[in-house]
Amino acid sequence: MKNSPTALAAICITLLLMVPANVLAHAFLDHADPKVGSVLAKPPSEIKLWFTQEIEPDFSTIEVHDSHGNRVDKQDAHQDSSDKKLMIVSVPALAGGEYTVVWKVVSTDTHHTHGTFKFTVKTQN
Amino acid sequence: MPTCKCTWAAIVLAAGLTFPSLVHAHGFTGDRFFPPTIATDDPFAVDELSLPSVTAFDDPSADGIPATREVDWGFEFDKEILPHFALGISDDYISQFGRGQPSTHGWDNIQISTKYELWHNDPHETILSAGLLTDIGGSGSQAVASSFSTFIPTFYFGKGFGDLPESAGFLRPLAVTGSLGQSFPTSSDDPNQFQWAFAVEYSLPYLQQEVKDIGLPRPFKDMIPLVEFSLATDENRATKGLTTGAINPGILWETPYCQLGAEAVIPINGHSGSRIGFTFKAWIYIDDLFPKIFGHPLFGKD
Repeated sequence: MKNSPTALAAICITLLLMVPANVLAHAFLDHADPKVGSVLAKPPSEIKLWFTQEIEPDFSTIEVHDSHGNRVDKQDAHQDSSDKKLMIVSVPALAGGEYTVVWKVVSTDTHHTHGTFKFTVKTQN
Repeated sequence: MPTCKCTWAAIVLAAGLTFPSLVHAHGFTGDRFFPPTIATDDPFAVDELSLPSVTAFDDPSADGIPATREVDWGFEFDKEILPHFALGISDDYISQFGRGQPSTHGWDNIQISTKYELWHNDPHETILSAGLLTDIGGSGSQAVASSFSTFIPTFYFGKGFGDLPESAGFLRPLAVTGSLGQSFPTSSDDPNQFQWAFAVEYSLPYLQQEVKDIGLPRPFKDMIPLVEFSLATDENRATKGLTTGAINPGILWETPYCQLGAEAVIPINGHSGSRIGFTFKAWIYIDDLFPKIFGHPLFGKD
């Protein structure tokens, strides 16, 4: 029984060895352009979201809403052709104001995650 | 009996492979991820594997038993059986080192837990759960474990503050989880206890992903500083009214496949210990590593 901590350590190592080589995980937002919570002097033409894992574009969405809750993106959210962790949605010329980005993604191992953040476009004088 | 175990293993595996649908798991309410914490059991009834946990602390003298330095090695495994209902099993291997005394070692009693998620409110990042912890008397080593059972009906809660107004932006990553339990030992020697614990967390991932990207590099953007309070108040017997426990400041670190946590264990009074201890725990995200088997209830769908 005095060897029980050793046995626990052995179980940990065994579990690590059982881990499949190509394990995947939940896709969380790694960073975005425009940045989360940023204030922009110039409106963006597209919103880019980089995730921590590769995503399934068919089950993943990005929406952009203005401060009144109206959807303003061009509804063309898609995965970047060369970076499977990057999703992009186009937006028209945005007026000054606060915008909310709502994302829902499914990673390639079927885990789904979602999140929300805001950015602000400065009103042009 | 070996045949019986094989049958159960086959049933578990088959049931896991039968549910290829979207995988949830982890402790989410709305956009909030509530991490499992070391001293405060979180309110989620999800698949979890904690292995190992290590805690070193002073066990003060009581009832004529001299003070000891105690090191516990433990594990916990929880499985969602039905939607929002989980069963868990945990145990600790205890080593007690007394001054001038021979050291004692052995397994503590097995603890079985049941938990049901009663209510979620996603916009307000709130969850309420209830469960029953059962410490099975006599299932551990006679040297370190009690011979009687203890039943602890427990109420759990979690609240994230992401619904605060934008003007309070940097408070939005805050969250609180807690548990309130009432112990009923089957021995008349031990007091009934009100067991209360809570964790105050500041999620840097939530700050970066939901509030404001302040440019934190890894590993800091994946860390959650927290303070836990783990307390118990005796309700009867000779120690009626006595509160013991510890305050644990520490940090959790999220990685894609596991979470690591380390905390100091600061006794709140002399009855709780005289020296600062430490605790470390690793949680393995079994739903990520084995998504066909874990991350969904055994029977039914979330």
